[in-house]
Amino acid sequence: MSAYTVYADQLPGLLARWNGKYAVYAPKDIGEGIYDFRPWRQGDEIAWDYDLAYNSLKRFLIPPKEPLISYDLSRCTAEPIFEAPAQLLFGVHPYDLRAITQLDQLMESGAPDNYYLRRREQTMIMALEPLRVAEGSFWGSVGAERVDVGFDLYWTKLGPSSFLVEVGTQRGEELLLDGGDLAQATPGEREAARRAKGRILSKARKGMAFDWREIPKLLGKAWDSPLWEQRSELCLACGSCNMVCPTCYCFDIREEVDDSLQGGVRYRVWDSCMLHSFAAVAGNHNFRRKALERYRHRTYRKGKYIFDRLGELGCVGCGRCVRACTAGIANPLRTFNDLWEAARNEG
Amino acid sequence: MKAKLFSAYVPQPATLVATERLSDFVTLFRFVRDDGRHLAHKPGQFIVLSAYGVGEAPFSISSAPSRDTTEFELAVRKIGTMTTAMHNLRVGDKVGIRGPYGSFFPVQDFVGKDTLFVAGGLGYIPLRSLLHYQLKHRQEFGRIIVLVGCRNPQERIFIDQIEELSRRGDVEIQETVDCPDQDWKGNVGVITTLLPKVAIDPDVTNVAMVGPPVMYRFVLAECVKMGIDPGRIYVSLERKMKCGLGKCGHCQINHLNACVDGPVFRYTDIAALPEAI
Ligand SMILES: Cc1cc2nc3c(=O)[nH]c(=O)nc-3n(C[C@H](O)[C@H](O)[C@H](O)COP(=O)(O)OP(=O)(O)OC[C@H]3O[C@@H](n4cnc5c(N)ncnc54)[C@H](O)[C@@H]3O)c2cc1C
Ligand code: SF4
Ligand code: SF4
Ligand code: FES
Repeated sequence: MSAYTVYADQLPGLLARWNGKYAVYAPKDIGEGIYDFRPWRQGDEIAWDYDLAYNSLKRFLIPPKEPLISYDLSRCTAEPIFEAPAQLLFGVHPYDLRAITQLDQLMESGAPDNYYLRRREQTMIMALEPLRVAEGSFWGSVGAERVDVGFDLYWTKLGPSSFLVEVGTQRGEELLLDGGDLAQATPGEREAARRAKGRILSKARKGMAFDWREIPKLLGKAWDSPLWEQRSELCLACGSCNMVCPTCYCFDIREEVDDSLQGGVRYRVWDSCMLHSFAAVAGNHNFRRKALERYRHRTYRKGKYIFDRLGELGCVGCGRCVRACTAGIANPLRTFNDLWEAARNEG
Repeated sequence: MKAKLFSAYVPQPATLVATERLSDFVTLFRFVRDDGRHLAHKPGQFIVLSAYGVGEAPFSISSAPSRDTTEFELAVRKIGTMTTAMHNLRVGDKVGIRGPYGSFFPVQDFVGKDTLFVAGGLGYIPLRSLLHYQLKHRQEFGRIIVLVGCRNPQERIFIDQIEELSRRGDVEIQETVDCPDQDWKGNVGVITTLLPKVAIDPDVTNVAMVGPPVMYRFVLAECVKMGIDPGRIYVSLERKMKCGLGKCGHCQINHLNACVDGPVFRYTDIAALPEAI
């Protein structure tokens, strides 16, 4: 993989150039220790040392509300609506990138989701090696610390004034060299980047009492665990844990008739398996009536169902749900550890 | 990754050509696709129907696949917004359809065998497509045994057709209701009470079963007790559905999606799933 050296003073020029072609989003300090991806404007400071973006990045690929079709009421015909703005996400941490590559796989398999795939195609992703680990994050211990695909460029800050930039795709390289030739990275710089990764990883590997590869097997035996009832008793069924999660993508389909009453739009909106209504059907029947059932389903989806399909967990350990849950029960790490502990005491 | 400008969410237009009232709340709707093509479905599959301005909902295709007609039938219970809107449709009105979707009863597995149909309530609607297929190719199939259960006599559907079937002589049909009224002369009790009344040969019998969620556990246990191989028991499981494409997550039964892995399952494929039955 080729890699270049980029100096800090070259960066504003590059960003400004890209901003002409793409809507550029980058991490920004929005106060009180909270970071989020925001549109980048000339002169903006990038939060190089951000620990976690408050909102997950799935919103750039599956918007909270996304039109699917428009229809004509009088003729009963419908047309697809495809919106896919050219956008560039600058500074994506590896665990978030892992979440995106997981969505890539799930959206492409079976009946391909062309809405997602078109947005994805229009999205340049520049990954960024993290410098800090957020409280509550545990991505280093669930196998989400590494990504080899899905990025166009991968940035590692080597010091106050230079970056090592690894090339992931040809379009990424073209973009990087858009402003003129850059120096190839030296073996020494590559080594420095490797060490930087090692440093952050040692901090990110925290909290997990056992090897994450055991989680699916553990869940395979935990269906009747008393933990589901104990924890879910506190659940407010608010759905926040799903909303902030970078790998959750369930949606509802709704529609609106426009003012003229001649036509309307059918769209999808984020939905949440933790909501009481999620599996409720007409005739007052609900396939997951109890909080216990919904809470358990979310955990199984994260810890087993996705793993059985893709060989990786459906949780990338970002810790956003840990923060979002006012009841303090959404933390998958804690759930997995407690189940592990219980299984050990039993066995 | 090369995304196409094709949307699976765009319905195809279809026109209502006839309706028939089946009970106080259930109506049979007969549609044709406007492009003149066959629906090309298999028994047990469903479509997602759009009434623009109201929404979409999944419905089983109740008619048998046929090369003779491009018409297809849905039988719909009026229960909420979409289904009420459908009951207001008039002949000539247009709707949108997506599909056919989902798995189906593999008819080749039924050839040369006896079939025990177990239909609880509206379960008769999806089973009817397999039943009518078998009747159309009657000589390829063995005994056809149909058990129909309803909560009360007012909720019976396809009454005339069921009477017709019982007169044919080559279909064994039995009905029961949970709560009889004064006029009801037939069997009373849940559908499992009919099972001992049919002398089946478990070694040559396939079961096709659709009914309300509570029905499955009891009937399945009974069938297994009767000696039927769980690999020859087919059930159709309906869940909340939105996309029909395996994406929206609503229809999940543990790791499976009822919309693409189902709705028709072989019992052996779901017996170990705690969310299935
Ligand atoms: C595979 C399958 C086949 C079906 N076949 C038939 C049939 O042949 N005849 C029939 O009358 N009914 C059938 N149903 C049930 C039918 O889809 C619901 O009765 C219908 O969705 C209710 O819509 P509504 O808008 O009138 O009710 P509302 O309660 O207003 O529903 C609101 C929304 O919830 C969802 N929803 C509600 N109930 C169900 C449900 N039972 N299943 C799935 N989604 C639901 C729908 O997306 C609907 O848009 C089937 C369901 C499935 C999953
Ligand atoms: S489950 Fe929680 S920690 Fe895991 S990816 Fe989702 S939000 Fe992040
Ligand atoms: S687990 Fe927490 S965040 Fe999730 S629905 Fe329950 S209360 Fe809300
Ligand atoms: S209906 Fe959307 S996943 Fe099955």
